[in-house]
Amino acid sequence: MISDIIAIIRDYWLLLLIGQYPNGPLGGLAATLMLSVLAIAFAFPVSIALALARLSKSPLLNWPVSALVYFTRGVPLLMLILWGYFLVPLVTGASVPSFLTMLVTLVVYQGAFLSEVVRGGIVALGHGQMEAARALGHSYLGAMRYVILPQALYNVIPSIISVFVSTIKDTTLGYVINVPDLTFAASQINNQLLTQPFQVFFILAAVYYVICWSLSRVAVLTERRITRKRAGTAAQATAKSLKLAALTDQPS
Amino acid sequence: MNTIAPSKNSPMIELTGVRKNYGNYEVLKGIDAEVARGEVVVICGPSGSGKSTLIRTVNRLEEIGSGSISCDGNNIHRPMPAKELNRLRSRIGFVFQSFNLFPHLSAIDNIAMSPIRVKGVARDVAYAKATQLLERVGLTDKANAYPGQLSGGQQQRVAIARALAMEPPVMLFDEPTSALDPEMVGEVLSVMKGLAADGMTMMCVTHEMGFARDVADRVWFIDQGQIVECAPPEEFFSRPQTARAQRFLSELRH
Repeated sequence: MISDIIAIIRDYWLLLLIGQYPNGPLGGLAATLMLSVLAIAFAFPVSIALALARLSKSPLLNWPVSALVYFTRGVPLLMLILWGYFLVPLVTGASVPSFLTMLVTLVVYQGAFLSEVVRGGIVALGHGQMEAARALGHSYLGAMRYVILPQALYNVIPSIISVFVSTIKDTTLGYVINVPDLTFAASQINNQLLTQPFQVFFILAAVYYVICWSLSRVAVLTERRITRKRAGTAAQATAKSLKLAALTDQPS
Repeated sequence: MNTIAPSKNSPMIELTGVRKNYGNYEVLKGIDAEVARGEVVVICGPSGSGKSTLIRTVNRLEEIGSGSISCDGNNIHRPMPAKELNRLRSRIGFVFQSFNLFPHLSAIDNIAMSPIRVKGVARDVAYAKATQLLERVGLTDKANAYPGQLSGGQQQRVAIARALAMEPPVMLFDEPTSALDPEMVGEVLSVMKGLAADGMTMMCVTHEMGFARDVADRVWFIDQGQIVECAPPEEFFSRPQTARAQRFLSELRH
């Protein structure tokens, strides 16, 4: 069993790593990582924009974006992917690479989910911070940028990370529209071997686990670093005052 | 725009027929009053009388239904572009009951951030000024502490310094000591006394009658959305004219 797995990795590591490249498109783990990183990199700013639009008092911004968010959250990702894949070429007449279709779909879908996380973080801060910033003369967007978002995003880091992790996992669905990612490579291997599906998909699961786990670790470490930075001066201050106390407090 | 160059004799704050409703409930029922330049006005009154709402209308944290409020010659509640309102607001210092320091910034960053981001002051200038202000409120050693590491009294003093950093000609205080433990009230009030002594125009909603007695030039007594009495403190405290003010003062003494 373990020797089977090692044999598969030995025979197919290049396919798993970069797909058919350079004889075909870049695929395998490289494509999965690229898709994940790009999806997250675009979905994050998109989610902030969507959240701000949903918080806006202007119905012109608020209504369409709310509709988009409700719709996206209420429809399975697979439907969106298939629609993107079949409808966009029908409507525009252009053939869109499946990688791009998948990327845009993921950005819209995860952007919608993430926007609710961000909006929750902003609303949870309460009025006081915004009022204080406005009273100092900050514009609405200035207050958001320098006062509200740094706090709101920090407070929802754990939820943001879980959306990031599910984004990575959702890249596997690109398989249905032939995005040549890691899952696609694994199923190609499985089709060649035919007899070892468990072993092949075990490798696949292990790789995804490592990627997602690493991201969670990075998140935990980042969170700790920020917490330490915000508490660091307190620790120093107490240390200082303790030393001082040791010098000045004399037993009577 | 229609900014009139403010003369030395014109009032710093001028409220004319200010009315405001929350639905059917009328919070402010026609306020007419003035705060002269360099004057310290203490606003007191029973809870729900509209005093917090009133002070929040002066920098337009609350909208008004009708009437007008001018501050340093500028009509605050006229229709105007957001930019103009932001500029006017930056010239009115506001101190909140709940401090509202920015918890993700250290004390000195809290003070220096807005001059840099709103007024475009150079960083070194803003930080030098912030250091001075920390000294003024007696917190030089807390420059790098975060709000969560400061006591309530220290937080409120940083909040005052933060408001002063914008160099406003007028400061508004909305119950600045009401959220503090009793032993910390004094340190905040003494900073405010210092400000008053330096000639700052101040409007202050407070229940600290000792402060009103020592520092205020006039006391406005508000009840049910109206200024019922308006008198120098010695007169207000020793000879309140209305039954409502008498009742309020006798309840304070118990």
